[in-house]
Amino acid sequence: MSENPYQTYDARILEVKDLTSREKLFTLRFLDPEVGEKFEFRPGQFVIVDIRGFGEFPISICSSPTRKGYLQLCIRKAGRMTKFIHKMKEGDIIGIRGPYGNGFPMEEMEGSNLILVAGGLGMAPLRSVLWYAIDSGKYEHIWLLYGTKAYEDILFRDEIIHLLKHGEAMNCSVKLAYEVESPSCIYLERGFSDRVCRGVVTDLFRGEEFDVEKTYALICGPPVMYKFVIRELLDRKLSPGRIYMTLERRMRCGIGKCGHCIVGTSTSIKYVCKDGPVFTYWDALSTRGLI
Amino acid sequence: MRYIKLPSENFEKFFKSLEAWGTVYAPVRKGSIYSFQEVHDPSEMALDYNRTMLPPKKFFFRPKEAILRLKNGRWEDEVEAEPMVLFGLHSCDIHGLKILDRVYLDEPADPYYKSRRERTLIIGISCMPDEYCFCKSLGTHFAMDGFDLFLHELPDGWLVRIGSVRGHEIAWENGELFEEVTDEDLANFKEFEERRANAFQKELPQEGLADMLDLAYNSPVWKKYAEICLACGNCNMVCPTCRCYEVCDRWMDAYKAVRERRYDSCFMENHGLVAGGHNFRPTRLDRFRHRYYCKSYFDPSAGYNCVGCGRCDEFCPAKIEHVKVLEEVRGSLK
Repeated sequence: MSENPYQTYDARILEVKDLTSREKLFTLRFLDPEVGEKFEFRPGQFVIVDIRGFGEFPISICSSPTRKGYLQLCIRKAGRMTKFIHKMKEGDIIGIRGPYGNGFPMEEMEGSNLILVAGGLGMAPLRSVLWYAIDSGKYEHIWLLYGTKAYEDILFRDEIIHLLKHGEAMNCSVKLAYEVESPSCIYLERGFSDRVCRGVVTDLFRGEEFDVEKTYALICGPPVMYKFVIRELLDRKLSPGRIYMTLERRMRCGIGKCGHCIVGTSTSIKYVCKDGPVFTYWDALSTRGLI
Repeated sequence: MRYIKLPSENFEKFFKSLEAWGTVYAPVRKGSIYSFQEVHDPSEMALDYNRTMLPPKKFFFRPKEAILRLKNGRWEDEVEAEPMVLFGLHSCDIHGLKILDRVYLDEPADPYYKSRRERTLIIGISCMPDEYCFCKSLGTHFAMDGFDLFLHELPDGWLVRIGSVRGHEIAWENGELFEEVTDEDLANFKEFEERRANAFQKELPQEGLADMLDLAYNSPVWKKYAEICLACGNCNMVCPTCRCYEVCDRWMDAYKAVRERRYDSCFMENHGLVAGGHNFRPTRLDRFRHRYYCKSYFDPSAGYNCVGCGRCDEFCPAKIEHVKVLEEVRGSLK
């Protein structure tokens, strides 16, 4: 491997799948099998995607390390670069460097319950955790609380509906909240009246009690979501050290140099790219501007 | 530390000998400001300078540089740097480089910065503070390491501190130019340092500073100054420890492209922007405060992210004074 940390590695797009009108799922494999072999990651880590001659952008990995041989990225068309990659097809080559960041402490949480709280695109990094937890079978029970705008915006809809139906057999309970009513949502709600409702993600906490000694919460969503979700968790007496959240910043380098993701004040400065992107609520309490 | 003396009459010879190590850059007067430029003759230098506009970071972390070149669909890099001698760095700038080292040499090291750093000889020089300097408050007015040689002015030459093996090598190879340090030289050195210590006009009291600033997060003083600030980002450019960069790809022709990085500024609106248009520092107040917090961050093992060089004050078009802002913010906690 190159000594230059800015060098990227060729990866072939194996498949492009439309998830919604804005998000596509890219399945990738490194051209060099040796690079693919060495590329190990943990749920919650991210990579820098390189479209040669057009630029780079950070994206969290949404596949699970338990499913080897490929890498999946869920990319929303949000700007110039992502618009460009949305035009790319199966067989095209892009560059990848990483993985970066700390990821979720999956080993530390083994044997516990996991509550995954996802809002919108926040489902992408948490999908890595979800499948890791289900595949490894090392966790007591997994809750996925997912808040989405409308039925059409549900990311990994097939997987989510599959888990709604059959999740319990995999120790996984899925709950879904949507904001915009549609016939499809009403149909879902009718089928799973205890688990699908109209509202926001915090509504999904209603009636849920959990063993705070044996539970971890993992949160990812739009900036506005964190404080409301954290309030629900703290109300249920979950320790701030058991609340993990993964954050978004505009990382350029991914390795703590370019300064774009610096947050905090004179007493505590953190680089989201290398100190995070996963932080506990203790970190948020001691680092202003984190959430 | 080893101390030797360079008599005035040997200075030119010593200076010339440095060219064997690499291209020599030193402070040169350009109009009303100073700048590190390539120098071939000691007479071109302005060694009594106060501060250069761009700090020596420009030699290691360039204002604009290509990091990768796209040829035949592959990125190629040119990491190998030319050997350089930076002559006449002030203590604050040496401390500034040490702060950049912590970032750019931290694993994985930035290969461009590292290569240049390894191939550069640093020769420090003593200075007298002017009205902008507050390095003494931050403990960066004297460099104990981070240089190969450090020259302290004496009435008849220079007291030279040797700070590295390469420094020893230079002294060794030019043995005939140096003399042993005498008691008189030591007395002169001590007298100069005392005079210098008393010459500082600006002071930044440090007691509990980091916490006091943090506690004053909502102080109206931030707002007051954010309204005066032009958000031009000058302070970022001239700061020896500001190191944010932005990257973009540029096509040279249909087959070749470069990936360039250039200095970025946390005063620019898009600095805190993320995908989808959310901005974590949407207002000028947020950005102004962020820079002050970043500079005043206190690392228990390495001190502040500011070396007190005074550049941000001297080159601020709105005449905002760093120390004054911090003092007022702290003072607003009543």
